[in-house]
Amino acid sequence: MCGIVGYAGYREALPILIDSLKRLEYRGYDSAGVAVVEDSVKIVKDKGYIANLESQLPQLRGVVGLAHTRWATHGAPSKDNAHPFYDCREKIALAHNGIIENYAELRDELKAHGHTFRSQTDTEVLVHLVEQSYAGNLEDAIRKALARCTGTYAIAVVHADEPDKLVAARNFSPLIVGLGAEENYVASDVPALLKYTDKVLYVMDREIVVLRPKSVQILDFEGRPVAREPQRITWSLEDAERGGFDHFMLKEIFEQPQAIHNTLLGRMTEVDTNGFFQDVTSVKLVACGTSYHASLVGKYVLEEVAKVPTTVELASEYRYAPTPTEQPLVILLSQSGETADTLGAAREAKRRGCKTLGITNGVGSSLTRETERTMYTRAGLEIGVAATKTFTAQLVALYLVAIRMGLDRGALSPEDANRLRDELRALPRHVQTVLNQADPIADLARAYAGARDMFFIGRGINYPVAMEGALKMKEISYIHAEAYAGGELKHGPLALLTPDTPVVAVTVRDRNYEKMMGNVGEVNARGSPVIAVGTEGGRDLPRFVEHVVYVPKVRDLLYPVPVSVVFQLLAYYAARKRGCPIDKPRNLAKTVTVE
Amino acid sequence: MKAIILAAGEGARMGPFTVSEPKVMIPVGNRPILEYVVEALVENGIHDLVFVTGYRRERIQSHFEDGRKFHANIEYAVQEKQLGTMHAVWEARGHLQGAFLVVNGSNYVDAQAIADLLNVGTGPALLITESEAQEKYGVVSLSGHYVDKIVEKPRHPEGNLINTGVYAFDASALSLMESLLNEGQYDLPSLVQALAAKNRVRAVRTKGTWLDALYPWDLLKLNSHVLGGIADVQSGTIEKDVTLRGKVAIGEGSRIRSGTYILGPAVIGRGCEIGPNIVIYPSTSIGDNVKVQAFTAIENSILMNDVLVGPHSTIAHSVVGSGVRVASNLMASADRANAHVEGEWHVVDPIGGLVGEDTEIRDGVVIEPGSLVGARCRIGALSRVRGNVPNGTTVM
Repeated sequence: MCGIVGYAGYREALPILIDSLKRLEYRGYDSAGVAVVEDSVKIVKDKGYIANLESQLPQLRGVVGLAHTRWATHGAPSKDNAHPFYDCREKIALAHNGIIENYAELRDELKAHGHTFRSQTDTEVLVHLVEQSYAGNLEDAIRKALARCTGTYAIAVVHADEPDKLVAARNFSPLIVGLGAEENYVASDVPALLKYTDKVLYVMDREIVVLRPKSVQILDFEGRPVAREPQRITWSLEDAERGGFDHFMLKEIFEQPQAIHNTLLGRMTEVDTNGFFQDVTSVKLVACGTSYHASLVGKYVLEEVAKVPTTVELASEYRYAPTPTEQPLVILLSQSGETADTLGAAREAKRRGCKTLGITNGVGSSLTRETERTMYTRAGLEIGVAATKTFTAQLVALYLVAIRMGLDRGALSPEDANRLRDELRALPRHVQTVLNQADPIADLARAYAGARDMFFIGRGINYPVAMEGALKMKEISYIHAEAYAGGELKHGPLALLTPDTPVVAVTVRDRNYEKMMGNVGEVNARGSPVIAVGTEGGRDLPRFVEHVVYVPKVRDLLYPVPVSVVFQLLAYYAARKRGCPIDKPRNLAKTVTVE
Repeated sequence: MKAIILAAGEGARMGPFTVSEPKVMIPVGNRPILEYVVEALVENGIHDLVFVTGYRRERIQSHFEDGRKFHANIEYAVQEKQLGTMHAVWEARGHLQGAFLVVNGSNYVDAQAIADLLNVGTGPALLITESEAQEKYGVVSLSGHYVDKIVEKPRHPEGNLINTGVYAFDASALSLMESLLNEGQYDLPSLVQALAAKNRVRAVRTKGTWLDALYPWDLLKLNSHVLGGIADVQSGTIEKDVTLRGKVAIGEGSRIRSGTYILGPAVIGRGCEIGPNIVIYPSTSIGDNVKVQAFTAIENSILMNDVLVGPHSTIAHSVVGSGVRVASNLMASADRANAHVEGEWHVVDPIGGLVGEDTEIRDGVVIEPGSLVGARCRIGALSRVRGNVPNGTTVM
């Protein structure tokens, strides 16, 4: 199986061809090549992946061309056997998907006519046959050539003498035409074209199609024109890339065990900082949005593990605040590494003479250039606008930084560091345990999806987790959600509680458990339904609250990870019940590159 | 040609190893069984795959995504209720045009076996193999090269040819399927029977490999088979005075500490800490993010992801599920023993311990050969575990 793409339009063909070809790489991957029509026909090809071809492409400006990715059938994977192929005079380039069954006899015949073959492929006979038949019109030549062949094929052909034309033909192997505005495409499969157009023509067996920038004509093998209605593709590239999940957000929630694995990978024994943290006397965490919530959790972690005084600021505030004399280590967190306010804050921190460390998921992003050191969260590409896996990966990165800093500053013993690392190793499992409960959590979310307002409460390290839970709920389900520290309810928010305002409470078995249960009591007294997140094995919660979701028992410091996964699932399923556009909430963009 | 891969089942006989993931995702040689199936199809040029998923389908989707990483184009269909294999194929009918293959995602199959099936040409066909455990399978009787009948799980089997669950069908099979489903038949063998009655169904005996894993100890056999094909590639950090013999694969970010002795074939995943002074004997797979502490010996075993094994432990012919945590001095040595699964006794020789995911084992625990410890159990210090321990049990 091979893949073909072709383009005839007004833009430079090369980048479009390469991009489309990558979408077909699943069809074959032992060699790849491209042909573009300029004054002459230029072919570049090599064995290996498309990326290998891409690395050696010259500048080609032509607006008509074709490309091919190959899976060897006849002839070994090699540069010589890669498509496209030239004819003897290098005027024609042809790429082929399929098998020419009678190629051996055709080859002998063509050789007898003086044609020179440069590969061991069955395909090369096609290009010489076309050359043999060519009399000024490419589609006629192809029609005559194909009449001589038996087998299966989809082909794409260009000729230097007809530079605005791309001709393709099909017999059994798949081929579709994509229709654009003054540009047209062919490809072996729909995904190759989805980025450019959703309007396609299906080419049938024994048909030839002639593409020019402004026209597409389908002919049968007798040369008679065929009428065909274009069809609209209703699925998007994203449907394909979501890999069975209904939304990117859900896919990314379920990727968290792997994202945590990858973030821990190779760093359990060392975060390579070479004593960077040794002389740190205080830390300032600076971020926006979800990263700001991760920073608030980080404050508890750094203070407890590294015993270092830590403050947290919003990047947009830090930039314009007065300059204090103190010079803390400034840690900047940004999922993309391109957040304008965070980049501005990084420059400001440098101006103030502070050491800077960036934590980001954006490999090679601007933040890595604006900070002295970078630590990557290796969560993989996140497409859903609501941050999920990058949030938990940021938490894991902060635990790792805290351990290193604790060791460097002599605030953490190697034994305690080891114990904490062993517990970090277990985090992917704890997240999986929460994911295994997605169905009951979904039921709960659906039951309360009709709420107008919702409150999230937590204490200590789980207070920022409640804030993140409220943010998730707001941004994707559009339910008005607020977070309060448990002890703050009585200072005002209790006035808002009614039997119609569900309260989500973090009541895990940590040092704040008794206090939190007191707050749950206050809520109960107002008749508001409570959804509690408790620790597995605890038995008393169901006596006080309507609903309990259990997370595994971990040390106090680590609860933010499993608890935030519960909140992600709650928000996701509530939004789904409400029919919200989960991956693209209104008025929000994934990366905020404006100030 | 498309291939439908059946991946909806839970795999109840796998006991505690399918609490978090479906049977097709159980790792052998550090890769899910399903990955070998995909690889066998892709090697034969079959890139368009339809996974029929059900139980814990997110685990499959998270791993395979759209298939690009595996050079395949994967679409997903859902079988909400696992009524049977033909019903599963029916649930994927919207993805089908023309002839198609059906492959069971929880059986190991190699490229040769798929090639043998493809090479017989068009028309319905069924891959068969010889087995001594006929009573657990559909036994196929032949007339010439064609299927005469399939008898499911016979008490007194005729012959030793069994149905591997790998089929080729053409588009006409779908209409027949519909009428059979209406009659309340849900399994593919009944479709083969019906096709054989009308037409002929070719039975293809393969020279390739087909291996089934019915019970947890079968995973060890599969594991040792696939480890035969691993690449001898070491990433990560290998400290001095580490001895590696035979084929040993070590993943990125792992650290193998001094004094460790590893006899291949063995595979160690990414981000592991092994040692110091560990002995790993052949046919051992150690997953990602695993830590094994000093003076531990591991032989012919599978340790899945995120396992922590404390010092001075012995683990032989054992399967240790993801997230198991052992404090120290675990004895799980192997012998000929009776194992009890789903109401049946099986004599297995040799077998060690089978420990389900996320179980915590305190110091000095002995797991007797053939014992099956459930998922999320807590086994107290100095306990001796004999026989089966249900999921979630605390043993003091």
